[in-house]
Amino acid sequence: MKKDAPHHRPHGRARELQRSLDLIRRNPLTLFGLFILLMLTLTALLAPLAAPYPQQGKGLSNLDERLEPPSFKHLMGTDDLGRDIFSRVIFGARISLKAAVAVVLIVVGIGVPLGLIAGYAGGKTDDLIMRFADMILAFPSLLLAVAIVASLGPSLFNALIAVSLPWWPWYTRLMRSQVISIKEMPFVESAAAVGASHWRIMFRHILPNCLSPIIVQATVDMGYIILAIAGLGFLGLGTQPPTADWGVMVSDGREFFLNQWWISTFSGGAIFITVLAFNLVGDGIREALDPKIRWRFQKT
Amino acid sequence: MLRFVIRRFIWLGFVLLGLCVITFVLSRVVPGDPAALYVGPRARPEQVEKVRAELGFDKPLYIQFAYYLRDITRGDLGESLRTHRPVVTGILDHLPASLELMISAILIALAAGVPIGVISAKNENTALDHFSRFFAVASTSLPSFWLAMIFQIIFFRLLGILPIGGRLDTVVALMHPIEKITGFYLIDALLTGNWTAFKDAAWHLILPSITLAAYSTGLIVRMTRSTMLEVLREDYITTARSVGISENEIVFVQALRNALAPTLTTAGLCFAYMLIGTFYIEIIFFWPGIGKYITNAILQNDYPIIMGVALLMAVFYVLVNLIVDVLIAVVDPRIRLGKE
Amino acid sequence: MNVQHFIKTAVVCLAVGTMVTLTATPGAAAKLPRDILVFASTDSVTTWDPSASYSTESVYMPNIYEPLIWVSPPGSETSFEPGLAERWKASNDGRMWTFYLRRGVTFHDGSRLTAQVVKDSFERTMRMGKGAAFILDPIDVIKVLDDFTVQFILKEPAPFDRIAASANGAWIISSRGVVKDRDWFEQGREAGCGPYVLESYKPDEEIIFARFEDYWRGWEGPHFSKIVVKIVKEAPVQEQMIESGVADLGNRIPVESSKTFDRKPCCDRLVGPSFMNYAVHLNTQRFPFDNVKIRKAVSYAMPYHDMIDVALGGLGRQAIGPVPFGQFGHDESLFQYAHDMQKAKALMAEAGYPDGIEETVVYTYATENAVEKSFAPLLKEALAEIGIPVEIRPMNWTAQWDWVKGDPEKAQHMAALLWWPSFSDPYETLYSLWHAEEKPYWNFSYYRNPAFDKTILAAYATPAEDEARALYSRAQKMLIDAAPSVFLFDVERPVFKRRELKGYVINPNYPRVPFWYYMYKE
Repeated sequence: MKKDAPHHRPHGRARELQRSLDLIRRNPLTLFGLFILLMLTLTALLAPLAAPYPQQGKGLSNLDERLEPPSFKHLMGTDDLGRDIFSRVIFGARISLKAAVAVVLIVVGIGVPLGLIAGYAGGKTDDLIMRFADMILAFPSLLLAVAIVASLGPSLFNALIAVSLPWWPWYTRLMRSQVISIKEMPFVESAAAVGASHWRIMFRHILPNCLSPIIVQATVDMGYIILAIAGLGFLGLGTQPPTADWGVMVSDGREFFLNQWWISTFSGGAIFITVLAFNLVGDGIREALDPKIRWRFQKT
Repeated sequence: MLRFVIRRFIWLGFVLLGLCVITFVLSRVVPGDPAALYVGPRARPEQVEKVRAELGFDKPLYIQFAYYLRDITRGDLGESLRTHRPVVTGILDHLPASLELMISAILIALAAGVPIGVISAKNENTALDHFSRFFAVASTSLPSFWLAMIFQIIFFRLLGILPIGGRLDTVVALMHPIEKITGFYLIDALLTGNWTAFKDAAWHLILPSITLAAYSTGLIVRMTRSTMLEVLREDYITTARSVGISENEIVFVQALRNALAPTLTTAGLCFAYMLIGTFYIEIIFFWPGIGKYITNAILQNDYPIIMGVALLMAVFYVLVNLIVDVLIAVVDPRIRLGKE
Repeated sequence: MNVQHFIKTAVVCLAVGTMVTLTATPGAAAKLPRDILVFASTDSVTTWDPSASYSTESVYMPNIYEPLIWVSPPGSETSFEPGLAERWKASNDGRMWTFYLRRGVTFHDGSRLTAQVVKDSFERTMRMGKGAAFILDPIDVIKVLDDFTVQFILKEPAPFDRIAASANGAWIISSRGVVKDRDWFEQGREAGCGPYVLESYKPDEEIIFARFEDYWRGWEGPHFSKIVVKIVKEAPVQEQMIESGVADLGNRIPVESSKTFDRKPCCDRLVGPSFMNYAVHLNTQRFPFDNVKIRKAVSYAMPYHDMIDVALGGLGRQAIGPVPFGQFGHDESLFQYAHDMQKAKALMAEAGYPDGIEETVVYTYATENAVEKSFAPLLKEALAEIGIPVEIRPMNWTAQWDWVKGDPEKAQHMAALLWWPSFSDPYETLYSLWHAEEKPYWNFSYYRNPAFDKTILAAYATPAEDEARALYSRAQKMLIDAAPSVFLFDVERPVFKRRELKGYVINPNYPRVPFWYYMYKE
């Protein structure tokens, strides 16, 4: 069942929004997720203040206190260069959030317009765009990302590109199916009858009504983007030392993980909690916006 | 119906060609002189030049691509630059290990996910339901490489009841070697009555397959739950209830039967993605499958292996998708008869 | 069939199956028999062809193949030991070398060792031109004087005894194997006469060797009849394997555990020089390293001992010159830059940069190398202290090398390099890394000094050992004075084993090679 589209009086919209916010407020899981995200954003923004050893967080070594287990002095222990893991996890949050925002912007920036055009234009344009998107989707994304980083050289920036390139087709697909279902609607036909140009119709009439699934997807995806970047970091293909990066920390900790388990455990735990938070919030938003639409399997 | 399938196959052909182009371009764009890699770390410049001419790396790109396509159609994916063994052999050697892992994982995911999803749907909005839903979301949020390490720390280091990795214990492999029939250790050991090896192989399979199953389990729980919820709202269920059929029979038999299709679709797609999902898990559990095979290749820029495996994975994914689409079409008359 | 029935039966089967599996105990109960050695190794095989072998498989090759002579471990009474040749002599001008072969030696395939076989082996390697074949460049003609005497005529004088004892490129191949091409070997076959035969091979997983009954040294005394090599690249796994007794020998465990490994009752650790060393090469064609004072400042600034601690777990010696400790040509009396921040800062001031430089310097190392990865942050911090900002850029080894081989003016400023000699003579190291090159190859610092080139060539050509030593020392002094490279440390390679395993001999002339023939388990 779709939303009742034709009457877009601000009055109705505001009420929808109010109802959505209520639903979010009532769901404890979503609130929990939001709380975590809030904490995450705050620590990322205030990293130099939040971290007990900000210099070590940035990479300064501390050879006297190598590989120390968690204690009051070092809440999460130290790594093999003596750096405080808690501080490094905090600084890692910075990298992760920055990366997630950047990738989402790129992916939405490429994928949504393409999907809009494909859905609206139909015919050969649609075919062309979608075939291209399908091809990229068929390719194992991890390998594509690895190949891209390998050719450009390992760095955070290149990792961002490597993650974005296999990711945008999802948004094209999503947007396109939204556009297809919307474009037959009466209000679109009336806009065309009045003489609105194609671009005007696409961006002023169609696009705003397709945004909610995109927002939901982008929210959930932020968590997975962080996971993907961490995965590349784990393989050594992302941020470079001595910058703190959760994936790199998990990989670094592997050499010691049976005896000095704290290095990998806490950094990996940070990834887990972050992805979980985004998932919970994303789910909450999805339910709040469209509780009656059956959640379909869109991607794994 | 037939037209639909044929059209899909034609599309498949184009996608494969596109994939070949992608893999080829990537392999040439990736830095590192393949001739130098082939010859070894301390070769003289003259040796490298000789090899470059021998292997055809000095020819223009489009000719190299033509050779590449021709070789693929012959089933030759080239040779590893490092070990000089055919990539196809390497893939065939490592594939059974990965498949064994994937099949175990999908079975676990279904065996765990479907019941939880059903029970969750049956008890909608109770504490049990909320807990299951949280569990499902958490499962899909876990970084696989982290979960793998946590399992190792807990079950190997702390509790000492499960092995740290590998498919088989070294001593068992020496004393009770498994005869290779299918490449699946569990099956081969059973077929040859090798009980010690069977137990050992099963023991080694536990942690990696549970880790691999985690993500899919979460998805299957969610999918089953939401489908069940919808099905349970249907009229014929209400009718069945009013007629007096037991709640359990309704839920577990009538409703589940109809809810299974989307769940199995989900499971099928999960299975396709698992081939990539095995990557990190094979690294951490030292599982000698495709993931391990390609990791070494990536670290050393051994591009024939990378390209060959990438092509294989893409083909696998596309095929599974095709099969799933065809099955859906078979089942759903709306698609079969109408437009896509 | 009733659906309910089906579900019930399925559940029962699953439950029974799970219970049966779970009651099974993990199979590590059995202990290894005493005549089987399990070796956990990080080294895979890149080729089985003895003429082309030049990489990690050289760890296994000396057990399957044999050379004419062997270099003895440092500290031995004689420099060389007879191998397939019982005696040998060189002419006075160093250009004619005659080897008298052992009689009665059989190869694994049943054929016999004769002078013709030796000639054919060397010629095959030279003809194929792969791997370490370049060490045989000095050979002009090989003559078969009689069935058991073979003579090498060289174009120029060269230390042919060291060449014939090389860990790569000097293997003697049977007459049946010498006519085979590379593909034949890659299937997992060999044509040697050493104590062990290659029985089976699973690439990157497992190699099994079995004892060769007709080995010319004979099998009196305790020996292993089977060697199982498990290729395990992960340090924590090797540690577990040795501790639990699944493996008797391993070559890599986590650096932190390595320190306390021999305090365990089950296991111990052997350490010996390895001839591998690490250096950081400075780009002498680019600012700031075109300035010798700044280069010396870098050498003084390096925290050598911290690096050895962190990267090698203490298993290393700070390098004295580029020739590793224990190798012919190493000179303990040469000057060594000790870690001295004051001197480093003073030199920077002398060079005109008391407050440091503005430009950020790019430092590359190979991502695959865990040691280089460990000390990179320390290097960056040390240089930051003397005012040189460093950007660390790990790269794939081939990518890093490609960059060096490009235009020196655009190449990286600093690059780390792990080096080991192809055969037991410093010439190859000194020549490859520092002789003037037209097109950049191994000379990562782009150092050019004609006097240096002349000196090392003279050292190589002279048959008098003492003269060679003096000349090599002189050449090394030039490098130390000009400081185009920072000589970091010589690696001491540890070997990890169970206490019952005896007879392990470390011979760095054959890097990391376990000589299984001499080993046994108590």
